[in-house]
Amino acid sequence: MTSTVDDEGSAAGPPGAAPAPTSPMPPTPPPGIAVRGLRRSFGSVHALDGVDLEARAGAVTALVGPNGSGKTTLLLVLAGLLVPDSGEVRIGGFDPVADGRAARARTGWMPDTFGTWDSLTSREVLLTFASAYRIPPAQASTRVDELLATVHLTEFADRPASVLSRGQKQRLGLARALVHSPDVLLLDEPASGLDPRSRVDLRLLLRRLADEGRTVLVSSHVLSELEEMADDAVFLSRGRTVSSSVESDGPAPRTWHLRSLALDSATAWLTSVGVAWRPDDDSLAPPAATPGGVLFELADDATAARLLRDAVTAGVPVLSFAPATGLLEQAYLALDEERT
Amino acid sequence: MTRMEPVELELPPADEPTPVPVGRGGTWGLTWHGVRTVAVLDLRQRVRSTRWIVALVVWFVVVGGITLLTTGALEAFGANDGRDRNTGPILFAAVTSLVLGLGLLVTPTLSSTAVNGDRNAGTLATLQVTLLSPAEIATGKLLAAWSAACAFLLTSLPFLVLALAMGGTPGWAIVRVVLLVALLLLAVCGVGLGFSALAARTAGSTVLAFITVAAVTVFTPILFGLTFTTTTDQEQVTVWGLEDGWADGDDPGPCEVFTAERSVSHTERTWWLLGINPFVVVADGAGTGPLSHNGDGSPLSAMRDGVRMLRAGPPPALDECWTGTAAPAELQDDLEQDLSTAPVWPWGLGANLLLGAVGFVVAVRRLRIPQRTLARGTRVA
Repeated sequence: MTSTVDDEGSAAGPPGAAPAPTSPMPPTPPPGIAVRGLRRSFGSVHALDGVDLEARAGAVTALVGPNGSGKTTLLLVLAGLLVPDSGEVRIGGFDPVADGRAARARTGWMPDTFGTWDSLTSREVLLTFASAYRIPPAQASTRVDELLATVHLTEFADRPASVLSRGQKQRLGLARALVHSPDVLLLDEPASGLDPRSRVDLRLLLRRLADEGRTVLVSSHVLSELEEMADDAVFLSRGRTVSSSVESDGPAPRTWHLRSLALDSATAWLTSVGVAWRPDDDSLAPPAATPGGVLFELADDATAARLLRDAVTAGVPVLSFAPATGLLEQAYLALDEERT
Repeated sequence: MTRMEPVELELPPADEPTPVPVGRGGTWGLTWHGVRTVAVLDLRQRVRSTRWIVALVVWFVVVGGITLLTTGALEAFGANDGRDRNTGPILFAAVTSLVLGLGLLVTPTLSSTAVNGDRNAGTLATLQVTLLSPAEIATGKLLAAWSAACAFLLTSLPFLVLALAMGGTPGWAIVRVVLLVALLLLAVCGVGLGFSALAARTAGSTVLAFITVAAVTVFTPILFGLTFTTTTDQEQVTVWGLEDGWADGDDPGPCEVFTAERSVSHTERTWWLLGINPFVVVADGAGTGPLSHNGDGSPLSAMRDGVRMLRAGPPPALDECWTGTAAPAELQDDLEQDLSTAPVWPWGLGANLLLGAVGFVVAVRRLRIPQRTLARGTRVA
């Protein structure tokens, strides 16, 4: 998209002209995924009951929600496999129902459970999909080699998919979704079954894809990871979008965790500056002069920074000071409470 | 993009996403590229499983074993009554029936799990979201199943050639038989594909495919037999014979033409029940010998002539003259109708291919996405 705009812009203006507006592009790129009032029921079960969502191009959007909240159904509608009962969906500007082919050409979808053709090698699986997306053979083979390297499966390229482990199959599935360089990526639990190293790789890969201007929508239960890679978050509960951003309602109070070499001096200082603390291990014994940690609520990040500076200045032997839970996790747990 | 018009330039190109070459769209869009992609995928998957090799070997051994046993038995008979002339045609008919029969048994399993098997394995939806059209996926799967069926057919080719080598069968018969069997198996593949798209479970679709094949092959002759009485009426017909029956005297006298009430079977109303039978289709189309009322020794020809007689229905006049009196020339044609040269097989083959086409269309329609309704107990992916 961007390249077209640049081409048109340079073609329109004579070379060396006044550098007025360099690009006719609007200030914000159109959203990769736009969903309004989406509803879909299976019989009497309302899997999706009013979903509003906007995923920015160039950003990683996390899709968070408890089991059965409709995440997978939503991704199926976005991937163009299910017709919604009502509501509007746009993938890169295309309606997956009315203009399914154009939408699918731009969408890379990785389902939560999927199979592979066991007797095909990883390379053959990817070449098959390249062919299914009508990528010319010459181009396809370099693209496949590139993808195999990206997901670290080069050494398994010519072995049948049946010998791959669960995590390796997951990586192959990710490569499969990327074969046609989609503008919009829909990933359903991509991190499940991945070892820590692969999770880091996944995070870096998604970051890179987003930086290339693609729209990435990730559903996952590993909230700490989502928090590290996601720019935005959408919360689903009982088929509805509950909140479409973490930062939307301003700075939220957060629980912080402080560990000190001498817990008694730390608690004494905290009490003196008026912070209501509680022990992090539910012990009722008074703090001793031993290493230990406490939890307390702070209004925002600025307060936390000020408190740390003051504590160090006051001579409190601070070992570590960090948020006790991620923002996503906090929001997720709030959803959980709502559910029960 | 090649045709630049001022009107187009007025539109801000930024709002228009880059056109991606998506090829011909729609449910029925069909390209050789797409069909080949799916067919190669399916065949690779099939060929690399060891079961496949085992199946082909078992097939070869079974067809070969039965052919050799039949040859041996026929030669033992032939040695006794010196009718060597028939050994070739009988063997050819036996091998043809065997190949067709076993083919009808094996082929339903080749395609009856094509769609629901992939859906259960979680590989179908990932294929559906690509730029492959539903028709391409269905055609590719049909082609893969048919190729596998044809592999079985080719494996039995040596035994057909052996039967041909024993003489008595014209050479083109083997070409016609192989083509007809291949087309019938294509129809069966289509039926299996349709059921695989309809039924959620692979066991269900396989059973349904077998029932359909059985209906066409086994139930049609049974139904023909059961309806035989309903086609039989008491009618006034012209008879060439002895009006007063067999007299006591030695000389029954000459035969004469008279009108009497006889039971007449109007098989021309029900012959099509036999016509759609795959065995009849192959026998009728094999072209093993000239048309004849008395048979030329080839079972395939006999079956063809029999069905054509049944299609013609009862002759206008009944021949009940056993005294050997020659019938008058003007009656000769009525007593024994010429066997029709109009073939039965195009109708039977057409009916079978129509069934296969229905299955194919069902499969394509069920492969369309996005889906509006989901079958009970199925997941999209």
